Amino acid sequence: MADSPPAIEVTEISYSYGDVLAVDGVSFEVAPGEIFGLLGPNGAGKSTTVKMLTGQIGPDSGSIRVLGMDTVSDTSKYQGRIGVCFEEKNLYTAMSGHENLRFFGRLFGIKDLDTAALLDRVDLGPRGDDRVADYSKGMRQRLMMARALINRPDVLFLDEPTDGLDPVSARTIQGLITQEAERGVAVVLTTHDMHEADTLSDRVAFINQGKILALDAPEALKLQHGQRSVRIRSLGNAGEIEETTIPLEGSGVPDSLQDTIANLEVLTIHTEEATLEDVFVAYAGRGLGA
Amino acid sequence: MSTRRAWSIAAREFRLGPRSPIFLYAVFLPIAMSFLISAVFGGLLDPEARLGIVDLGQSEVTLAAQELEGIAVDVLDDAESLRDRVETHNLDAGIVLAAEFDDRIRAGEQPDLDFYISGESLASTRIILAVTTTDLIREVAGEEPPVAVSVTPIGDEDFVPIGDRLLPIVVFYAVVIAALFLPAASLLDEREKQTLSAVLVTPTTMREVLVGKGILGVLMGVALGVFSLALNQAFGNRPLEIVLFLLVGSIMMAQLGLILGSLVKDANSLYTAIKGAGVFIALPVIFIIWPTLPQWVPRFAPTYYFLTPVYEISVNGGALADFWLEFGVACLLCLALAPVLLAVGHRAETRLAWAG
Repeated sequence: MADSPPAIEVTEISYSYGDVLAVDGVSFEVAPGEIFGLLGPNGAGKSTTVKMLTGQIGPDSGSIRVLGMDTVSDTSKYQGRIGVCFEEKNLYTAMSGHENLRFFGRLFGIKDLDTAALLDRVDLGPRGDDRVADYSKGMRQRLMMARALINRPDVLFLDEPTDGLDPVSARTIQGLITQEAERGVAVVLTTHDMHEADTLSDRVAFINQGKILALDAPEALKLQHGQRSVRIRSLGNAGEIEETTIPLEGSGVPDSLQDTIANLEVLTIHTEEATLEDVFVAYAGRGLGA
Repeated sequence: MSTRRAWSIAAREFRLGPRSPIFLYAVFLPIAMSFLISAVFGGLLDPEARLGIVDLGQSEVTLAAQELEGIAVDVLDDAESLRDRVETHNLDAGIVLAAEFDDRIRAGEQPDLDFYISGESLASTRIILAVTTTDLIREVAGEEPPVAVSVTPIGDEDFVPIGDRLLPIVVFYAVVIAALFLPAASLLDEREKQTLSAVLVTPTTMREVLVGKGILGVLMGVALGVFSLALNQAFGNRPLEIVLFLLVGSIMMAQLGLILGSLVKDANSLYTAIKGAGVFIALPVIFIIWPTLPQWVPRFAPTYYFLTPVYEISVNGGALADFWLEFGVACLLCLALAPVLLAVGHRAETRLAWAG
């Protein structure tokens, strides 16, 4: 992964909606096969960043290269090699699942698209002839995912792909994301769901007020900002529950842990890790929901 | 610009058409209007008088009757089947011409002529057929009419029946609803439902989307214009010239529709804009219906440059050669609208990205 040229190279991009600066000097790279999480609260600039990456708008300054192509001058060319799954369920509801996929297949220049295989991948095979108007929210989202995969893209942009879905639909989509990354697809995942980002992403970028605050692997970010300690709950002499925290820094940690466990009636032992939400708060001074 | 992608977009519109109320409305409105106008003012549903002839000789009356306009002549083999068909109102009237009928009337004899009238035929039809038959027989006999008929036109000699003057309304609705309203509504719908965003992150460009939806408008405008004229039997002698004006008019209307579809905020704004502009774009129709109004006024409306030629060629026997100026202006308007459409299309694309 590290030896391959980046699938996405973003250099100092900025974008303003009139007087409002939405994205301010953002830079990052995404390697082939990498799942890159873009996290931030509403209005942070992540959707604008994705719109620039997908060629919907051009940056006011800076440059974006996707698969080695400039997103402004080679728009149609590189758009033939990306897949986009929007948060908005923008499907043709008067058409069936098969018809939706066939239509978008033609826009990609694919004549004999195997729509049945695509629908099977998202567990919609038996409902492929039904109109999308009759689909549930989860089914529509899965069809959106199938649509994003029509052209076997090299780069996938997924905006809140599991938002509000039932656990089964969410797992189906998360499974597809992992499969695509294993195939070598660079995935840009925009989400509010910190757990999903933590589970799926190889690296995450926190974005707030148009700037990237931090960018690293989720584990590294959590280690940087978590309290490296173990919390032990035990039963005291009078039957009350006691908590003991043992820092995991410095020498003598194993002895200290061993002594504590040997001398107490231990009920539970937990490592005290920071969540991505904690890390975001540490950087932005506010939570994602704020 | 990929014509394949533009055509894919147009093809999707045509495939989905029967599932769209607006599409069905555009198709059925001109048909409904044609039937309404013909029912009220006559025309489409007026039956031709039907005359059956059994000719036992080879009478010139039969040949002369067959050449008449407005009367459908059916030559039968025997009197019995003629009677049956008149009795069942399959024919309005029927005559049996005996052998050597022509020779006998020329010789001054008065041979018997069986004239059967259907009890269900209209009184006016009976009179027309009876008088026509009598005239034909007198002509074959070489007799002069017993009176000298002097025909004097009264009123406006250039008068065009109201049914014909209403023809532009049908054509107007066919072309404007199909060519202007369908692409406008389709583009707006895609903007509102953000399906356009999904299309524009494929290799498809906004220009291809506009061309695809324009194809829908133009083909539907021409097809419905032709269909409406055919339904009203108003093609005149120069159908290709009429189709040419319908084509230019549909291109112009499709461009205006796509400009509207790119600019308006929502469906309410679209209906308001079309209603507001309705009087302006319908000006030529109004001035054709009331020909005493000053006829220079509708020249300010873009629709004048195809509606008036279509009307003049189909109803008044005009020709393309009489309307080169109108044709040129219509083409220039189409050319002038193209860059405007591309500019507002680009603006709509940016706004869509901002809104999504």
